[in-house]
Amino acid sequence: MKRLLAGLAALALTAAPALADWSPKGPINLYIGFGAGGETDTLGRLVAEEMKQSTGWNIVVDNKPGGGGMAMFTQLNKMPPTGQFLGMGVTMPVLVNLTIRPDEVPFTLDSFTYIGTVALAELAIVAPADAPFDDLAGLIEFSKANGGATIGFDAPPQKLLVDVVNAQSGADMRLVSMESSAEAVQNLLGGHVTAAFNAGSHIPYLETGELKMIAGANETRPSYSPDTPTVEEAGFGVYVDPWYYIAAPKGLPEEAQTAIGDALKAALDSDTVKTAIENTMHTEPVFKGPAETRAMMEAGLANVKTLFGK
Amino acid sequence: MPPIETILAGFADAFTVLNLAFVIMGVAIGQFVGAIPGIGPVMAMAIAIPFTFSLSPLVAISFLVGINKGGLFGGAIPAVLINTPGTPDAAATAFDGYPLAASGKPRKAAKMALYASVTGDTFSDLVLIVASAPIAVLALKLGPVEICAVMILAFAVIAGLVGDSLLKGLVAAFLGLLMSTIRLDPEQFSPRFDFGYFQLYDGLDLVAVAVGMLAVAEIVRRIATAGGPPMPAATPQIDTRAAKTVSWAEYWSCRGAMARGALIGTALGALPGIGSTAAAFMSYAATKRTDPGGVPYGQGNLKGIAATESANSAVMGANLIPLLGIGIPGSVSAALLISAFVIHGIQPGPLLFRTQGELIYGLFGAMLMANLCNLLVGHLSLRAWTTAVKAPASLIFPGALIFCIAGVYLSSGGLFGVAVMFISAAVSLVLTGAGIPVVVLLIAFFLGRRFETALSQSLSILNGDPKNLVQHPVALILLALSVVLAVWMARRR
Repeated sequence: MKRLLAGLAALALTAAPALADWSPKGPINLYIGFGAGGETDTLGRLVAEEMKQSTGWNIVVDNKPGGGGMAMFTQLNKMPPTGQFLGMGVTMPVLVNLTIRPDEVPFTLDSFTYIGTVALAELAIVAPADAPFDDLAGLIEFSKANGGATIGFDAPPQKLLVDVVNAQSGADMRLVSMESSAEAVQNLLGGHVTAAFNAGSHIPYLETGELKMIAGANETRPSYSPDTPTVEEAGFGVYVDPWYYIAAPKGLPEEAQTAIGDALKAALDSDTVKTAIENTMHTEPVFKGPAETRAMMEAGLANVKTLFGK
Repeated sequence: MPPIETILAGFADAFTVLNLAFVIMGVAIGQFVGAIPGIGPVMAMAIAIPFTFSLSPLVAISFLVGINKGGLFGGAIPAVLINTPGTPDAAATAFDGYPLAASGKPRKAAKMALYASVTGDTFSDLVLIVASAPIAVLALKLGPVEICAVMILAFAVIAGLVGDSLLKGLVAAFLGLLMSTIRLDPEQFSPRFDFGYFQLYDGLDLVAVAVGMLAVAEIVRRIATAGGPPMPAATPQIDTRAAKTVSWAEYWSCRGAMARGALIGTALGALPGIGSTAAAFMSYAATKRTDPGGVPYGQGNLKGIAATESANSAVMGANLIPLLGIGIPGSVSAALLISAFVIHGIQPGPLLFRTQGELIYGLFGAMLMANLCNLLVGHLSLRAWTTAVKAPASLIFPGALIFCIAGVYLSSGGLFGVAVMFISAAVSLVLTGAGIPVVVLLIAFFLGRRFETALSQSLSILNGDPKNLVQHPVALILLALSVVLAVWMARRR
């Protein structure tokens, strides 16, 4: 009951400065593991602005691009756990690096205190609407009948996913490397690839009927297209779940972890951030608390190890 | 095309005092950040976006367009005045701009850059307004194989910049391509030449390398040769009207260079990922080869300035063609404009024209207004900058160095980028000493990354079999054109 009341109070007074008894001793630096203008950057800046307004903390957003967030987490790992240094990144590149070159990575999952998740990037395999197949099985058949197919992708786990499908089905899907989701959509619309992975840029084209869904690539079906089965459901037993999350250096005091986590949760619950995330990512913000985020990272690492056959 | 009422309503929305104020503010900020090596309009736009939440969508977008357009000219200011380009795409502006300024005519050089920039920009905006939908559909048909061929053509044209020694030019180009292979490879994502630095996974930072090789190297050279009594940073200006202005006759004599630049910039801008720096160099090389006369190139030829600035500015409007035509951003700054749309709940995409016609025409109105403001604000800021460089060199160059460090620190995310900048500067000084053209290295480095991706995509699409090229007639034509051009240039040498 007390918690419910506190929750209601927090909802009613989103501008209340005292979300918790902790407050930072100076400005909070939120490192973004990617350059200005990307999806992570947009998300980070939105959340920071909202947290700033609801808590009164001075949050400074700082881009630290490099290696899909690896450069940023390497640096974050060296900062003091005062709550004044936070980092926002995406799980996949971190987990992949921890899997394939653990000796070179100067940190482990234990190097950080996890604050929470921000959102899940929903990944799908899509094709032009006039493609002569409608699902993964059809795509595999198409590939076999036409001496191969081309699949646009933009991150290593997607390639591994296709490798697994090729190996188990005997299809010959050749991967075509893309530099962004937008480039993949362009190649689909221009008919330069048979199908491609995409994480949201394709959704407006589903509505206009120029593209169609072939399969989901996450653990669960895409929220915007619940009738599309996943690659895992199609019997291949693999998935890719890129989560956006925020972490701090290890040893962050518990009250700071709670206070920042609460502020993050409140920011994600706010209409501004919700709408903006729906608009940019075509998905809803999903907040997992510290313990859940930590568990998600461990499960994710196990899944990536499966993908790499380790 | 939407009904005429929508178009008029859109323009009417754009031409308000509030909007004008924000456009002017954007242009002024853009020119300032463009002039400072390392920061640039993209960085400024990214920082400004959260501040536009509270503005109405059109005002927000007008402001960002202002920053972007101001930056297009801003980069030319230090390139012309003190031979240190503020943005990489102004590097070729310094070729003729600086010699002209050094001969006592800095205002003439900078004004030519301003006029050419606004001309190229307006041309590509008009193309965007009139023909974005059909051009976007056409550009869509150009896949990785064709893009790869376009880049080979660009290399063939830019080879004209190699200078006196073909061998040294080739050395520079290969060094640049080698530098662009420092990153995760695009196929297997295994690190190459990273020496254990995660920061190198995404490659050497373009801005850090460009600022180091062009701006910092020049600053170090100037500081090293300074000494003795205090000297002003710039040559004293000749105080006649002819030396301070660009006459109509002079402007008109550059019409060929500007038309070529505007066309090259618009064509490359409509294709995602090639960028304004390549367009600027290509235009300069093409003009140098085909449009002789007057002062030799590299010694203050107005056509050299006009060719570069018209091309790099024309890229911006054309970058929006794929964005407005089919909903795909053609560059980082177009992607930033998208995020400003999106924050206000406007979905970019194929339906944008139908659902947001009034806003789009408002954007067009704001773009044209920004061009005009660029011209007016440019005149004022030129006066300020040309006065500023009258300060002693011992003040200007160390000051500029501080700006380089701060700018690169900000845009590349830390001291690692600053280190890359200084190493690049050292490399540049050594290479220049050996007579190896650094700009050729840079342009190869800029194009190399995109070229490698396009090549790997093409190999996968063609299934590694050159016979499959038959299905790509456009690519075949472009490749043949590249060969013809290369042979023709070799003969003229």
